[in-house]
Amino acid sequence: MIDNPMVLTSAFSLGPLTVSWPVVTTWGVMAVLGVGSWLATRRLSLRPSRAQAVLELVVSTLDSEISATIPGDPARFRTLIGTLLLFILCANWSSLIPGVEPPTAHLETDAALALIVFVAGVGWGIRAQGLGGWLAAFARPNWVMIPLNLVEQVTRHFSLMIRLFGNVMSGVFVVGVVLGLAGLLVPIPLMALDMLTGAIQAYIFATLALVFIGSAVDAE
Amino acid sequence: MNFDWATLALQLVNILILLAILKHFLFRPVAAIIARRQTETDAALKAAETARTEAEAATRKAEAEEQATATARARVLAEAQTEAEAARQALIDAARTEAAKIVAAGEAARQADDARASAQALERARDLAGTIAARALAAQPHDLAGYVERLAKALDALPEAERAALLEGDTLRLTTPVLPPEAERDSLIAPLARFGIAPLWAEDATLIAGLDLTSSSGAVRNSLAHDLDLIARALGHERN
Repeated sequence: MIDNPMVLTSAFSLGPLTVSWPVVTTWGVMAVLGVGSWLATRRLSLRPSRAQAVLELVVSTLDSEISATIPGDPARFRTLIGTLLLFILCANWSSLIPGVEPPTAHLETDAALALIVFVAGVGWGIRAQGLGGWLAAFARPNWVMIPLNLVEQVTRHFSLMIRLFGNVMSGVFVVGVVLGLAGLLVPIPLMALDMLTGAIQAYIFATLALVFIGSAVDAE
Repeated sequence: MNFDWATLALQLVNILILLAILKHFLFRPVAAIIARRQTETDAALKAAETARTEAEAATRKAEAEEQATATARARVLAEAQTEAEAARQALIDAARTEAAKIVAAGEAARQADDARASAQALERARDLAGTIAARALAAQPHDLAGYVERLAKALDALPEAERAALLEGDTLRLTTPVLPPEAERDSLIAPLARFGIAPLWAEDATLIAGLDLTSSSGAVRNSLAHDLDLIARALGHERN
């Protein structure tokens, strides 16, 4: 039985710090991704194995997507966008493990992701345009748009967070409800649909993050 | 629903750590191997391009050398042909010169042989003439009276019938190179009186010397010319 995703349950406490289950699940995802990456990349060679070819295909596709959105060297944004994509995908698909709730079904995780995108956009925007240029971008096309641009800067990241949270949480919620009402195998189609939704949401989040950062880097 | 700021903070830290982990263990190594392969590929392509350029240069060089070889071959062949033609012409000229020398030597030898043969023939003719003359002169009388004596002996030596036919023939004539004076003719032919003839006299320088008696029935040749002719015929028979 899945708990209410709107309620954050505590896993354990370290003194005054309470560690919730999404954090623990995130650690698991981090461990899987970290160990998996180490295992997959420890014997890279010029004649790639099948696994290495898949990794190179992922990285090449990521670079081509970044290059199609932001001109210049894609390596600047590869780690952030790739990490967001892989983490959200693994986090969303972690619900396939019985008893595990995806961390992205909790608002704190999505907020952390959106906050990182926001900070990254601000940082790369200031680095690319300078502080004055970045601030001047809020006055485009004219100064009247400054409030709206400021609100947009917040709301689009907020919507980024809410979109991911809503989609993943609703999927988990629906599966939990159906599992509570019907038999053990009935939620399987919904879980498959949840996988698809999780993959799409990971792609959407990464793509929107890329677009937001790209718009901050190249305000023209 | 409540919002846990501690979880937000922990998730922020977790994601930042995950960024570092994936950057170090995933994206950087994979991007590095892709870049390295690209570098190796570029180097291989460059090496292949260099090799292709070198191969093309080598091909052009080989073609040039082949062309030069063909040209040199043609030149050598032409020179050899010219030299062979010159050598053939020199051989022909030498052969012609040698043949001319041989022909000249042959001609000279023939002329020498001819000269030698002519000299030998002349020598033989001289010897023969000498022999003939010696024999003829040895048998000749010293004067016309001697020839009359020899004519009388010849008539005596003739058979009776032949002598009679001769002597009784028409136009019995005595021929001599130079006619003796008429006053001496009767006394000169006195040895012939016993044959009872009264011949006419005739002159014939071809007799050289001597006295022939001729008639319509025959003749007794009694002259140097006749003797010379007889001796020459005899010598001719001897030589044959």
